[in-house]
Amino acid sequence: MKKHLLLLAALGLWGMAVAATPSDTYVYLQSAVVDSLDPVQGYDGASNGIIENIYETLYSFKKDSLSEYEPTLATSYEVSDDGLTYTFHLRKGVKFHSGNPMTCEDVKYSMQRNLVVMPGDSGAWIFGSVLTGYGDDAMTEAKRALGDNASKAEIDQFLDQYWKKIEAAVTCDDMYTVSFHLAKPDVSFMARLLFTGAAVVDSKFAVAHGEWSGTEADWKDWIGRDLRTSYLHKHDAGTGPYKLVKWDGNNVVAEAFEGYWGGAPTIKKVLVQSVEEEATRLEALRRGDADRVDVNSWATVNAKVKQMSGVKVWSDPKWSPAGAHVVFFNFNVQGENNPYIGSGKLDGNGIPRDFFSDINLRKAFAYCLDQDAIYNDLFEGHGSWYTMALPPTWPGYDPDIPIRKLDLDKAEEYFKKAWGGKVWEKGFKLTITYNAGNTERQTVAEMIKANVESINPKFKIDIAPLQWSDYLKAARAKSLPIWPLGWGADYADSDNFIHPFYHSRGSLAKRQNFKDPEFDKLIDYARTLVKPEQQAERFEIYKKIGRMAYDVLPNIPYPLQSPFIITRDNLQGVYYNSMLSRDFYWKDISKK
Amino acid sequence: MLNYIIRRALQIPLVLFVLSLIIVGLMQLLSPQQRAAAFITSDKQIEHLDQIIEKYHLDEGFIVQYKLWAKEVLHGNLGFSRISKEPVTATVRKKLPASTELALSAFIPIVLMGIWLGTLAATHRDGLLDQVLRVVAIIGWSLPTFVVAIWLVAWVYGGLGWFGIGRLPNSLLIDLATGNFHPHTGMFTIDGILNGRLDVTWAALVRLVLPATALVIVVSAGIMRVMRSSMLDELGKDYVRTARAKGLPEGRVVYKHARRNALIPVITMAGPMLGRMIGGIVVIELIFNFPGLGEWAAKAALQLDMNTLLAFVLLIGLIMATVNLLVDIAYVVVDPRIRYE
Repeated sequence: MKKHLLLLAALGLWGMAVAATPSDTYVYLQSAVVDSLDPVQGYDGASNGIIENIYETLYSFKKDSLSEYEPTLATSYEVSDDGLTYTFHLRKGVKFHSGNPMTCEDVKYSMQRNLVVMPGDSGAWIFGSVLTGYGDDAMTEAKRALGDNASKAEIDQFLDQYWKKIEAAVTCDDMYTVSFHLAKPDVSFMARLLFTGAAVVDSKFAVAHGEWSGTEADWKDWIGRDLRTSYLHKHDAGTGPYKLVKWDGNNVVAEAFEGYWGGAPTIKKVLVQSVEEEATRLEALRRGDADRVDVNSWATVNAKVKQMSGVKVWSDPKWSPAGAHVVFFNFNVQGENNPYIGSGKLDGNGIPRDFFSDINLRKAFAYCLDQDAIYNDLFEGHGSWYTMALPPTWPGYDPDIPIRKLDLDKAEEYFKKAWGGKVWEKGFKLTITYNAGNTERQTVAEMIKANVESINPKFKIDIAPLQWSDYLKAARAKSLPIWPLGWGADYADSDNFIHPFYHSRGSLAKRQNFKDPEFDKLIDYARTLVKPEQQAERFEIYKKIGRMAYDVLPNIPYPLQSPFIITRDNLQGVYYNSMLSRDFYWKDISKK
Repeated sequence: MLNYIIRRALQIPLVLFVLSLIIVGLMQLLSPQQRAAAFITSDKQIEHLDQIIEKYHLDEGFIVQYKLWAKEVLHGNLGFSRISKEPVTATVRKKLPASTELALSAFIPIVLMGIWLGTLAATHRDGLLDQVLRVVAIIGWSLPTFVVAIWLVAWVYGGLGWFGIGRLPNSLLIDLATGNFHPHTGMFTIDGILNGRLDVTWAALVRLVLPATALVIVVSAGIMRVMRSSMLDELGKDYVRTARAKGLPEGRVVYKHARRNALIPVITMAGPMLGRMIGGIVVIELIFNFPGLGEWAAKAALQLDMNTLLAFVLLIGLIMATVNLLVDIAYVVVDPRIRYE
């Protein structure tokens, strides 16, 4: 027995001796699993968190700034007066990891590969919708345009047109000058080009390994294809400061690229590992076997992480996530036999379809949402306040707009005014829905129910959890009267919030039948301000929209959990950029 | 005997076929939307559910679904695993060795501990040692695997800093990925020797200690209990009394005569024990960050990855059926009175 104990002790000592990762190595344990390392396919944080370090785009984020872009594979650009052509001058002397030089052909190939394949579960629509005008792959668009019974000749004709648009979308003026030709002016085009999907791929290398040839000859074979089965899914063809060594499902190993144009980075080796169990990640952090780990909530940070020695919690009240969560009101509920509006009349057993078109009701409901409770109880005091449906750090956000907090007296006052006093007299019944399993939205729904029902016994609210897919389907069918939902940014332009939330044709506002010509006019005008020197004016317009939204109240923005980063305390150079999938570039960090 | 073995072996494909029908059938109980929703990795993709349904034929009926899968299987292809993002067969090749390494390293201690402690408890019947062992066994048998595993991770690894989790230390993982280490078997303990990298073998062994210990704790208690009662049975039998009467030393009586016979019920336990071990491995791999088949299958179950689940269930079915056959054969070896027709 003694012998065993000695052996155990020996093993133990040896184990302790290897704790703490080497100073040129960065080990990150994340909860999610990488989906694909192909820039066109990757559309989740885990995948793009790798891609953004092994590939590069023409411009990239300047550390934590969302409005200042840094020239990366391009050195400068200009926009034509009509806003339809963006011309980029490429950096010379950039080498891919294969050793091939980067030229305009690579930029063109990379963008056209998005437009050709357009996998439905990828972010390729971000480019398609502005360059070809199509948000889906060619076959899906053909079916949509021609119906299911179209002849082969008709489909071929459609595909030919589609290909011509792909061809025309990107052109090479010379070896180091590339032009993008937009279908219509788009103020967010620069921001879209920072999305990892636009990463420049080594075209010679990709074609040599069986990817799309870059020509019309085989483009049809690639339409809508699942890129997880082709070469770039697991192999790297980038110019980035790191090159992929190996990805075996759980572990991604990368090493510094010595031929990097911007100089080799300080951290030489990187290991990103998927570790499902939070407890396991935390112990590895405590032991120094990891430099950074994912932690799910502030509750865990407060209860477990803060006591650990040698660990740093990076957070800042000024940080906000790249998303906005709101409660939507429907101005004109649709759908036959709609189960969410009771009788469909203002008779105490339901609501009329245009119930929420009365501003008094929207205000009354807003005063029933206890935002302080969300902030303090749900996020343990670590939240970001939202005055409008735009992240507080984004240009165009106005922090001076007031926030309606819980005030049952005011709520009562507005309920009494609503519908000429009929709401107060007859009462109503409606259903708030949320996606099952989402505790934040469940809390919001329950909070509104409890507070509204406490004001008048004739007010009745039911709560119905729905499956994610059913929830979205119901929202898209415009059949929900009032529902909480979040929106995450696709690209770093404030238009990606302002338009969906506040324009009558915006993807979110149209689900609530919200239409206000004043909003539409301003948002449309802002979209024409494409020149760099016009941006200040554009952002002033967004502030104005925020102030208008406070009065009109098409939705109630509420707080989000504020972001945090958990690392060992010897890691330096950490910053938070909400549009980077993993908050910072590996090349910017080092160890003490 | 040979006849019997052949007949039993022929049943295995049938069992596997029925298993595959059950899994595909169970999947059909969920709506195509629910299954398609499992494909997406970010909220935004939910807008494309219809395309996903069409692409993977999720709205087709049971027969079409089964045919699609069976066609792939007949081509020697088990489909694409959404969990590991590569073909199922490629993942099995990587993960089976990991799980095997873990199972083997736990197996011998499990059997030895179970048999040794069971015998010890029986020979000290109702004594203090027996009482203590019985309590320990009940605790070991009733403790959920994840409790044991998390306790080992938090206290032994996190608190004391002993051993470590994962298959290899991170620095070695990076080192092996960049160097030219050839994975002959996929088991780091053996590959280390084959590559002349004894440090890898040693590191892999160190990392096996905690997960194997967790397995030993949750599995060997069951064997110990069976061993104890079966041993008590044997010790009360006439031949033992005779042996003692003719003056054989107690050690010989217990270890040579009684124990051999007491092992038969323990061998019967091999089937259920293997079941418990596989169940244990699933949880243990998840918690110890030991990427093997169990961890893979657990994620697949949560994300409705049919190809992965089918492969896992079929593999486990194959192992279970084979082990049960081996158990039947082992009876004959241990007890010559048993004959199969």
